[in-house]
Amino acid sequence: MFKEFFLKELIGGLKRPMVYIFLFVMTLLVFFAVASDNVSIGGSIGNIKKNAPHVITQFTAIMSIFGLMIATAFFNNAALRDYNNNFNEIIFSTPISKADYYFGRFFGALILSTIPLLGIFLGVLLGAFLGPVFGMIEPDRVGEFYLASFTNNYLLFILPNMFFAGAITFAMANRWKSTVISFVGTLIVIIGYLISGTLLSDIDNESIAALTDVFGIRAYGIDAKYYTSIEKNTLSVGFNGLLLVNRLIWIVVGMLIILTSYFSFSFISKNKRVKKSKDKGNNESVKTILIAPTPSILFGVSTAFKQFFSFFSINFYSIIKSTTFKILFLFSAIILVSTLIGGFEYFGLQSYPVTYKMIDSIDGITGIFVIIIMVFFSGELVWRDRGCKINEVIDATPHGSFASLLAKTISLICVTSLLNIFFIIASMFYQMVNGYTNFEIGIYIQDFIYSALPTYIIWSAVLIFIQVVINSKYIGYFISIIMLFMMGIVMSIFEWQSNMLNLGSSPSFTYSDMNSFGAALAASNWFNLYWILFGVLFLAFSGLIWVRGVTFGFKNRIKSAKKHLTTNYVFGLTTIAILWIATAGFVYYNTQVLNKYRSSETVEQGQVKYEKQYKKYHGIAQPKITDAKYYIDIFPEERRLLAKSGLIVENMSDTPIDSLHYTVDDSWNMKVHIKNAKLVFEDNDAGYLIYQLDKPLAPGEKMAIVIEASFISKGFENEVRNTSVARNGTFINNFSVLPFFGYNEGYEIGDKNDRKKFDLKPKDRMPELEADCNKNCYINYLSDGASDWVNVETYISTSSDQLAVAPGSLLKEWKENDRNYYHYKTDYKAQNFFNFMSARYEVARKKWNGIDIEVYYDKSHKYNVDMMLSAIEKSLKYYTKNFGPYYHKQARIVEFPRYSTFAQAFPGTMPYSESFGFITNLEDEADNNVIDAVIAHEMAHQWWAHQVVGAKMQGATMFSESFAEYSSLMVMKNELEDDIKMKDFLKYDFNRYLRGRSGETKKELPLYKVENQTYIHYGKGSIIMYALQDYIGEKKVNNALKSFLNEFRYKKPPYPTSLDFLRHLDTQVPDSLKYLVTDWFKEITLYDYRLKEAIYTTLSNGRYGITMDIEAYKLKADTIGNETKVKLNDWVDIGVYADNDEKDLMFSKRVLFNENKMSFTFEVDSIPAKAVIDPKRLLIERVIKDNVKKLE
Amino acid sequence: MATLKIENLTKTYPNGVKALDGVSIELTNGMFGLLGPNGAGKSSLMRTLATLQEADSGTAFLDDIDIFKNPTELRKVLGYLPQEFGVYPKITAYQLLDHIAILKGITNGKERKELVNYLLQKVNLYDQRNKSVKGFSGGMKQRVGIAQALIGSPKLIIVDEPTAGLDPGERNRFHNLLADVAEDVIIILSTHIVDDVTELCSNMAIMNTGKMVYQGTPQAVISELNGKVWKKIIERSEVAEYQTNYTVISDKMVAGKPLIHVLSDTNPGAGFESVQPDLEDVFFTKINVAEATV
Repeated sequence: MFKEFFLKELIGGLKRPMVYIFLFVMTLLVFFAVASDNVSIGGSIGNIKKNAPHVITQFTAIMSIFGLMIATAFFNNAALRDYNNNFNEIIFSTPISKADYYFGRFFGALILSTIPLLGIFLGVLLGAFLGPVFGMIEPDRVGEFYLASFTNNYLLFILPNMFFAGAITFAMANRWKSTVISFVGTLIVIIGYLISGTLLSDIDNESIAALTDVFGIRAYGIDAKYYTSIEKNTLSVGFNGLLLVNRLIWIVVGMLIILTSYFSFSFISKNKRVKKSKDKGNNESVKTILIAPTPSILFGVSTAFKQFFSFFSINFYSIIKSTTFKILFLFSAIILVSTLIGGFEYFGLQSYPVTYKMIDSIDGITGIFVIIIMVFFSGELVWRDRGCKINEVIDATPHGSFASLLAKTISLICVTSLLNIFFIIASMFYQMVNGYTNFEIGIYIQDFIYSALPTYIIWSAVLIFIQVVINSKYIGYFISIIMLFMMGIVMSIFEWQSNMLNLGSSPSFTYSDMNSFGAALAASNWFNLYWILFGVLFLAFSGLIWVRGVTFGFKNRIKSAKKHLTTNYVFGLTTIAILWIATAGFVYYNTQVLNKYRSSETVEQGQVKYEKQYKKYHGIAQPKITDAKYYIDIFPEERRLLAKSGLIVENMSDTPIDSLHYTVDDSWNMKVHIKNAKLVFEDNDAGYLIYQLDKPLAPGEKMAIVIEASFISKGFENEVRNTSVARNGTFINNFSVLPFFGYNEGYEIGDKNDRKKFDLKPKDRMPELEADCNKNCYINYLSDGASDWVNVETYISTSSDQLAVAPGSLLKEWKENDRNYYHYKTDYKAQNFFNFMSARYEVARKKWNGIDIEVYYDKSHKYNVDMMLSAIEKSLKYYTKNFGPYYHKQARIVEFPRYSTFAQAFPGTMPYSESFGFITNLEDEADNNVIDAVIAHEMAHQWWAHQVVGAKMQGATMFSESFAEYSSLMVMKNELEDDIKMKDFLKYDFNRYLRGRSGETKKELPLYKVENQTYIHYGKGSIIMYALQDYIGEKKVNNALKSFLNEFRYKKPPYPTSLDFLRHLDTQVPDSLKYLVTDWFKEITLYDYRLKEAIYTTLSNGRYGITMDIEAYKLKADTIGNETKVKLNDWVDIGVYADNDEKDLMFSKRVLFNENKMSFTFEVDSIPAKAVIDPKRLLIERVIKDNVKKLE
Repeated sequence: MATLKIENLTKTYPNGVKALDGVSIELTNGMFGLLGPNGAGKSSLMRTLATLQEADSGTAFLDDIDIFKNPTELRKVLGYLPQEFGVYPKITAYQLLDHIAILKGITNGKERKELVNYLLQKVNLYDQRNKSVKGFSGGMKQRVGIAQALIGSPKLIIVDEPTAGLDPGERNRFHNLLADVAEDVIIILSTHIVDDVTELCSNMAIMNTGKMVYQGTPQAVISELNGKVWKKIIERSEVAEYQTNYTVISDKMVAGKPLIHVLSDTNPGAGFESVQPDLEDVFFTKINVAEATV
């Protein structure tokens, strides 16, 4: 019988269209993902082929989530069909076996539900075949096929995921016999997936996150996280690693669920539970009313209001009391709690739970739930009367339809608001529990009113409107979801950017403790008003066409609408319409007329035009800046900034210069003033200017030019384009207010495929590293040829309540016209790379060896200021001792609003974002202090970048970023004096490097040829420099750095290259370790060590003998990740831990690995717990779990 | 004294079914029974009068309220119990009636409470007022339905097949309730149960295929058939034969054998006995015979 039920389920399903529709959709989605260059799901970028096994696995994993809905549909159907057709009593009274019936349907549905997902493979095959044929993608984007990547994905993802999801759905459907509850089951699976994802934020929890993920997506993600291009292109997902464990776990869980369900399943339908109502009223003495009361009946505004309120309370309570709402509420609460328990982690540190972090969490979590609630209940409310069959009674009562629909809308708004307010209260509770007592209830409420509430209002009205107009619940749902998710896509297809066209959207704002809601708030409020009026208008229209009773066809609805169009209604409708049009006009004027913006397509075309027309001027000789005077006037309350820059330029080339070229930025209104020169070419679109000098500028000759630039904000914008000029927290640098000298390569389109589309040649890579310096050595990568070392003075003014900061010593400070003026001057020449800032700052000061250490911070962020002062001091101590003098008279940290998250080093001044560092909780942190590390890094730039800077070619960023990382690590190391704690910090660098190379789209280069690739110069740079000091000694590394610095400090061009550094390093490295320089700096080297066996024996002398059997390989990788094993002859540490937590390294020694299989023995004094290879983790291995073993 | 005047109502559904085909009636206070088989157009007429459906043509006035042009005014004086009366889940009888009372314009809280309690007593549900209506039996629900139709002193009460599915006791109670208020208002009671009309209505009409096939008092229509109805018990195998030879009004089973009524101005002989006609005979005459003779 099993076979019959199985086949019946399967064949029955195949006879219905649903399976084919899903199959078609899946195929289509994947086809476009493969055959189009514009879609890059699955990470098929750069060197990764469109049909690479890794990409196919990604598709499968992602589509599994969509597949869930399919599974629900099929399994729910299988479980409930007989029941819904009232066939159950007939079939259950026949002599069939329960198991056959139960499992026959289950497995039938299982096979059926996997069929649509085969569309993935179909899509890949079709896409890979047809894409190149129709010229949609280049043939070289398609790689080889591997059968295993189809079969394995089916067996590892599709089948188990459908099995698990099916088990839950089938069990729930059989238990509750309700389609709604089955979909709730699906929701549970998705939420479980999301919860397990919150674990992933900390790399220590990776394995748990991988195993708890019901779809196995993250398990594969972690197994494959360090895959290189070549591995992604060739390795099919296999039955191993975390993924296999994950799959086994969830198959077992699925089996338990389905078996439990099976044993509780019975053919005999249970007696429906009869709920005993509480008999409340019975004790009351019943006063019989004999004469029929004759209540007064009134119709008017107050009645309409009372009718509205009665509708509202009935609707509101019906949502609140519904199971669906309770379940959604519960799950959103669970997610909130699990997110909050995870805290706000950054490099293993927790941030203070400041209000905006809480708000961000709330927004992140409520989003999806609010959408579900609004879509689901908009349909429920609109269809409720009809569903309950009470519609005719209600419709025949004398109420206005608008009151009823308004009540539905408002109850939706209230329910979603309730959810949000609950989250706010929970957040404040969380803050309290965490000892954070700065409760900013006002900010929670303001954010709610400015951001969430308008969204709820608009969408509630629109969704109710959709349900009313469509007049079919499920099509209404479909349209609603399309509207919610497709608007963005539609907008991008048509390249529309105006928020006026994107239903319900308004400019996004970011709350900053410094700058509050910022400039976007006004705009956001106007847009919200515009959309709310729009929603009300829609609702008023819905009130007219709302079906009272039975109406056939839209035409009749319009006809009957006319009857309800009373004078009052017309008046109301007209008023709202006029208000809406007026608002629309005002918003349009502000965002499209007053603040014209260019669409992204226009911008792209501008870039193309710029490159095509002016590329010919690339690299032409231009005079360089030698002295600069900046006059900056900041008017924060108006968000206005005026800048005037007086520059002295000098012809440093050996030929006369007769024309000056500038690329200007139109958002800054730049004006160039040059005496004795005339403007001979002007392209306002592209912003290219050419001035002809009356008399050519001879080599060595100087001249003055003046540049005016201003930023003036007018009205409000569609999106705030310039967050750097703010009411509190202005932060600009000198590049904003200066034109680019000559042709700016930075304006070119970077994306490889976009360039192809616009018929541009592949972008020039960074100039190759050359030993013999040519003209590339005369340009450094920071100023890109516009200047070398300059002297700078700044006159800067701001409003009377703010403090303005510019680099250098403050020479004078005065008040004039109720404004604050400051005059700053640098004490030593520097890179022409300056910042100008203004805000209501508090200042903390400290003095060290005549240097002023200062932290400029917002008064709400005083937590870590003292630590920051001492971090600067610690850095100064180490760097001056080991590298050389500090040439500025001050070292400042200046806070800026969290529109960006970074810290940056300008000469003597380091802007630092409010969102990290300032709010990180360091109270209990003795070790692993990332804030110290960041400050030490920026301080190190005062030497590495500001005293010596690389020539513009490969390897240049090695001695700004890698050396700054190294310096910072040394400050930390001297503070901690614990290799194992350092290892804990360095794991982030390992991860950064290995993940970075896995995501490389072009070429991975060795460190000394790094092309501004962050994973190399930060990640690999830190690891290598740190390991180097461990191998050759900190002193030696510092010697090399110091002598390199001595040779090039503040030196005129030619600028040094990485080869210059290697020359200095070479003298410090003993011959026995010279191989390290080659392996680490000049090549890409990876290691693979395994501890095969580790035993200890008690020796007769009372000591313990350790024997370690190891396996070792050394690998060289090429630029796309092809690895070749090479002969090894490397010094590696081996040792033993005293404890199982691997904290106490009781013994280690450096031994030579020169065979693939070796055995080492040594003696220790006490019983060790674990043996380990490379305990300090100095060498780059992809897998380190196999390096350590418990001793037996 | 209110008057409901309907002239020439016509309604054709998109699928071509003529639900109303030139219906005209004029009614005053009292109970008006509307008889007709399923699909006769009764519910269409009821819904149209309850402002829940548009007619293609024709007019309907309650006194001077034009029902089609000014539905809101009519709703103010309307009590309506549709054929299928459902209720919201998780709401008590009291809450439901209170909600509808507000919708009907009874805004004074105290008065409303009094009215709702009065109606609950009247329909004998006062003890169950705080229980969820969803759990009520069909009869109890129907009583809630009539209670809500009585809210707000309506001038026109429309009840569509109210006694379907009620047990005899429930049905009697229901009839009493209606009879109580019938003096002061127009009640239109649609049904396919002939006894309902016999017991309650002073005026009636019979509808079939969208048309009024009879309109008048029950007594008048019954007297039309006096002496024309004959009955006979026959064998099952003979039914077809009798149907071709006689104008058979109805056949029903009595003790396992068909009892047929035939229409004939004279005694058809052949063992037929005369029988006193009742409304059922009228009903079947108007429905079956009319169809056959058209």
